[in-house]
Amino acid sequence: MVKRKLNPVQVSLDEVASTSLKAHTTKASSKSEKLKPKAVIPSQAKNGKEQKEILKEVKSSAPRRSTRKANMKKVDEEPMDEHSKDEKSDEQSEDDSVLGTEEDEDAEVDGDSDETSEDEEEASDEEDDDDSKSDSDSDAEKSSEVDDEGIENDNPFEFSDMNEAISQKVEAPHPNPVNGNEYEEDSSDEEDIRNTVGNVPLNWYDEYPHIGYDLDGRKLIRPKQEDKLDEFLRRMEDPNFWRTVKDLQTGQNVVLSDKDLEFVKRIQSGKIPDANFENFAPWIDWFSSDVLDTPLRSMPPSKTSFLPSKIDKMKISKMVHAIKMGWMKPKPKPSTEPNFYMLWDSDDKSDEMRRVHDHIPAPKVRLPNNAESYNPPAEYLFDEKEMKDWESKDDEPWKRRYNFIPQKYKSLREVPAYDNYTKERFQRCLDLYICPRAKKMRLTIKAEDLVPQLPNPKDLQPFPTICSMIFKGHSQMVRSITLEPHGQFFASGSEDGTVKVWEIATGRCMKTFEFGCVIRWVEWCPNKSLSLLAVAADSDVMLINPGVGDKLIIEKTDLLLSETLDQGDYHPSERLKGAVQWEPVDEEKWAKGIRILIRHFKNVNQVTWHAKGDYFASVMTDGQNRSVLIHQLSSRRSQLPLNKSKGLIQCVLFHPIRPIFFIATQRHVRVYDLLKQEMIKKLISGAKWISSMSIHPGGDNVIVGTYDKKVMWFDLDLSTKPYQTLRFHGNAVRSVAFHKRYPLFASGSDDCNLIISHGMVYNDLLQNPLIVPVKKLRGHDKFSDFGILSIMFHNMQPWVFSSGADKTIRLYT
Amino acid sequence: MAAVQEKPSTTASSALSLQVRFVTKQEQYSIPDFPYSISANVGTDELNSVINRVLIEDDVIEKQKEFDFLIGGEFLRGTLEELVLRHEALKEKIVDDKDEDDDTEKKKIGVEEVIEVEYVERTPAPEPENCLMHDDWVSAVDATSNWILTGCYDATLHLWTGKGKHKQGFPAHSGPIKAVCWVSSTPESTVFASASHDQTVMIWEWDLSNNNVSCKWICKGHERSVECIKPDRQAAHLASGSWDGQLKIWTVAADKPTEDGAVGESTSSKGATKTPLMTLAGHKESVSAVQWSDEKELISASWDHTIKLWDVEMGGMKAEIAGNKAFFDMSWSALNNTAITSSADRHIRLYDPRSNEGSLVKCMFTSHNGWVSSVNWSLTNENLFVSGSHDKLMKLWDRRSPRAPLYNMTGHTENILCTSWANPDYMMSGGSDNTLRIFKAKTDLK
Repeated sequence: MVKRKLNPVQVSLDEVASTSLKAHTTKASSKSEKLKPKAVIPSQAKNGKEQKEILKEVKSSAPRRSTRKANMKKVDEEPMDEHSKDEKSDEQSEDDSVLGTEEDEDAEVDGDSDETSEDEEEASDEEDDDDSKSDSDSDAEKSSEVDDEGIENDNPFEFSDMNEAISQKVEAPHPNPVNGNEYEEDSSDEEDIRNTVGNVPLNWYDEYPHIGYDLDGRKLIRPKQEDKLDEFLRRMEDPNFWRTVKDLQTGQNVVLSDKDLEFVKRIQSGKIPDANFENFAPWIDWFSSDVLDTPLRSMPPSKTSFLPSKIDKMKISKMVHAIKMGWMKPKPKPSTEPNFYMLWDSDDKSDEMRRVHDHIPAPKVRLPNNAESYNPPAEYLFDEKEMKDWESKDDEPWKRRYNFIPQKYKSLREVPAYDNYTKERFQRCLDLYICPRAKKMRLTIKAEDLVPQLPNPKDLQPFPTICSMIFKGHSQMVRSITLEPHGQFFASGSEDGTVKVWEIATGRCMKTFEFGCVIRWVEWCPNKSLSLLAVAADSDVMLINPGVGDKLIIEKTDLLLSETLDQGDYHPSERLKGAVQWEPVDEEKWAKGIRILIRHFKNVNQVTWHAKGDYFASVMTDGQNRSVLIHQLSSRRSQLPLNKSKGLIQCVLFHPIRPIFFIATQRHVRVYDLLKQEMIKKLISGAKWISSMSIHPGGDNVIVGTYDKKVMWFDLDLSTKPYQTLRFHGNAVRSVAFHKRYPLFASGSDDCNLIISHGMVYNDLLQNPLIVPVKKLRGHDKFSDFGILSIMFHNMQPWVFSSGADKTIRLYT
Repeated sequence: MAAVQEKPSTTASSALSLQVRFVTKQEQYSIPDFPYSISANVGTDELNSVINRVLIEDDVIEKQKEFDFLIGGEFLRGTLEELVLRHEALKEKIVDDKDEDDDTEKKKIGVEEVIEVEYVERTPAPEPENCLMHDDWVSAVDATSNWILTGCYDATLHLWTGKGKHKQGFPAHSGPIKAVCWVSSTPESTVFASASHDQTVMIWEWDLSNNNVSCKWICKGHERSVECIKPDRQAAHLASGSWDGQLKIWTVAADKPTEDGAVGESTSSKGATKTPLMTLAGHKESVSAVQWSDEKELISASWDHTIKLWDVEMGGMKAEIAGNKAFFDMSWSALNNTAITSSADRHIRLYDPRSNEGSLVKCMFTSHNGWVSSVNWSLTNENLFVSGSHDKLMKLWDRRSPRAPLYNMTGHTENILCTSWANPDYMMSGGSDNTLRIFKAKTDLK
């Protein structure tokens, strides 16, 4: 199918062109052609005469042309310029070939040929306008009109199709006598109408004088067959003989033009026939990966392109289901590691290679000594006793010193063959191949590598570092100190029989209570709405109102404790009655500050409060099976939690949150559930004598100080054995304490050292507590082998207090 | 009792010489602007002799004067070399940190630069003036230009004249007195207040004509001991802080008569009870110091490691500075808008309560060997303040000399509990040796 390129002017009239095309082919009315002259796409050449006529006409209309030309150029220049220049030359050459015979006459016109064609168009244009003129007078023009088209046709622009070009040029020298203008029908895809037999083998007509029929049904007479002579003559005379071929369809000879020859040559050489075809045109990469600023297409992307594909989704869900059900298994990834094969591989290759690279030589055979000489010195020879010894060990030859008897020969020549040679060689062989040889790995471990990595104490601040204040006033060793719940005051109990209350900020002794007997323990009631201090003085436990702090609370406490409680029909058991008695407080004692007096049957070593401040426990180490008592302040009653003696009970402790009670005997800490009244667990310290214990405010960790210099950290969740044992003290540890806020704990010992440690307990149960000793504080003096007797932390500040046998209390901040 | 210039020991070292230019802001002592080449291991004494010689040669002064030398905003203590080398090290560090500050670049202090040394006339040594004996620990002191008021641990208040004559001593509270302050004074009478362990603030009026002190108001409301009180500038309100962590504001004058009409008259002997005008709760622990920085702004320091700024009008907290030690005392100066604090350690720290940079310690003054119990800015000189410590020393500091104080004032035999510089002429310190010691300050440099 030939695709026609329209004349630039015609482009705008595309549709009209197609209609006029039809009109043309049918040749029905020349009028229609007139009407749309621009749309004409004629494609036939014309015979010389006609052309000449036209040219003449063109010439005659020269004056008119000049003006037209100017007009025309305006319109046409622009679309023309792309092709016109190179095509002009083509055109001319074509003109040459086509109008070869008329060259002389047309020489002057030739250069203007395209112009003329344009002019003709103009003319037709005009005629278009003048269409209203009578049809009759246009008759004469009709033929010229057609011719116009012929000239137009010469525009090479029209002849991109080569077939057509060839067929067109064929007839110039050989105008078809039958059908003067067989190319009026322009389209090549229509059947060849010069011969209407159609596509049948032409040899069917071999027997007939004609070779087919023309359009009108007349026979096409076969041209006269040339005989050999004619052919020879033609060959001799006709210079174009070599380029003359016979058209089988028409039986005519056709002389191939230069252009045709060029075509043939190009085809023969395997090139693209069209010389104008740009084989290596620059590639314009319209659909590249680059994102353009503006889309190539003005059309917006379709809506569906934004939606996920349903089909894909279905496919994927099918696959997912298959994977879930185990029907589909992902392909194992091919391992990226290069696969090498050991050519000479064997089972024990490592050992083999080891033998090659890391050879262990066989142990050397022991060298012979003097005894083995053929002529040993006399001392090596057996005397009688040795001989006897040799003989006595016949049953156990391995006990002999030698496995031979040294013998003396006069000369080496006389030495006989060695009896055990074979045996010894055999043994040696066994040694070599049965006994495996291995290198001994010697580890080099430095002592510091074994020490765990601990954080730098600098990063664990704050902790007390320096002695800031010394509280002086007691005349005997200070046994116990306790902090007021608000942290403004603290109380100390001393062997001089006094309890003193101090202001922390200034070091002022605010109050002094005298009892005249050794104060073994003081402990402030943790209930902030009570102003009470529990004091263990000899066999009494006294609750005193220290009278510092909020006046209102002091008054309320006094009021609360002044009223006597009606015990009703409560009768304590004989066992309890024998152990403890709540005594009424008389005026004199009340004035001393005593609000409640509980008499015990033995010396009380410790008093400790429950966190709520209602219950408190007292410990009498010598009390045997009644050594622990739990008292309730609100009901003024006591009870004996233990029925049997568990040993010498050293101290007791309430759990800060849960109803759990810790009892430290000499060697173990027993943990009791107060609700169920049973022992939960027993912490095995492994120490000989426990002195004190303290519980972490979280309630899951307990530290225990012992008289055998150790401090043990028990993680109750972890084990009943100590999580860590700290041996920092050079002497008995008297007191241990946890800080309520900061991750600190401290231990005070008879070696006068107060050791502050960082003891971080994590919420994460998997993480063990972090224990780092951070500071050793020294300040107290030793007094009759006692050093620090009691320590405590401030509740809010990172301060620690220690009371010592040197009668002082020190505050470290 | 003596005031001693503190001098760190100087170490002899190599004969490095430095280029020094002397400048001064005190025009009467100006000297020609030449750079001097001076051996590096000189101290203030040598520099003093240089300046004095030049001044005497120029007939500017007749007799020797003592000068102090400021290098890079810091007083020279010890030798020049130490200071310069320290600055060099600091500079290297700054360069290392790539954190070049314009300020540090400006003050070029190095071995190779001409060092600009500013000299100022040395603050004269305070002289011990008086020692007022009490019966118990002196825990609170305040002064006006004429009167001295002290509070003791035996719950008594004492009134003294400026010369140290005892005018009045009377039991005021039922617990140790923790703070006292003068509120207002007229020629006929003065008003003062005291705070005590007995959880009350008492406002007293002292009739000067007949030397009669009467309790005007008992301010009740605190739940624990009252640790500090301060009047505002108009003497209309009192702010008090107590151990329970609350700040309370009281009016000094009579409240509007309450409905029961029992204002003042009901208890004539002990004064009428007052309730707080406002309570500012926010501190978690004892409020150790409070001060009015503005008519409507309070600054308080607490044992809970914070300094808080309160908007009294709104009744809420404005800003907070978090330290890392419990604050024992705080003093704010209107002259330089900074606060000095003493904490549960031996350092005095300088904070800018209004800065936005967070809880930055601007400067740390370290020389005491015990807890610093009390600090007080000078009311007249923006650079000077005094501090009293448990190491029995009161120290006079210059803000520009963080490593060494200007003077140590010895005399106390026990812990110093309180200091006062409310009277610009006298510095006072009371301690647990039952004395109040008064030093005459000669700080006026005209």
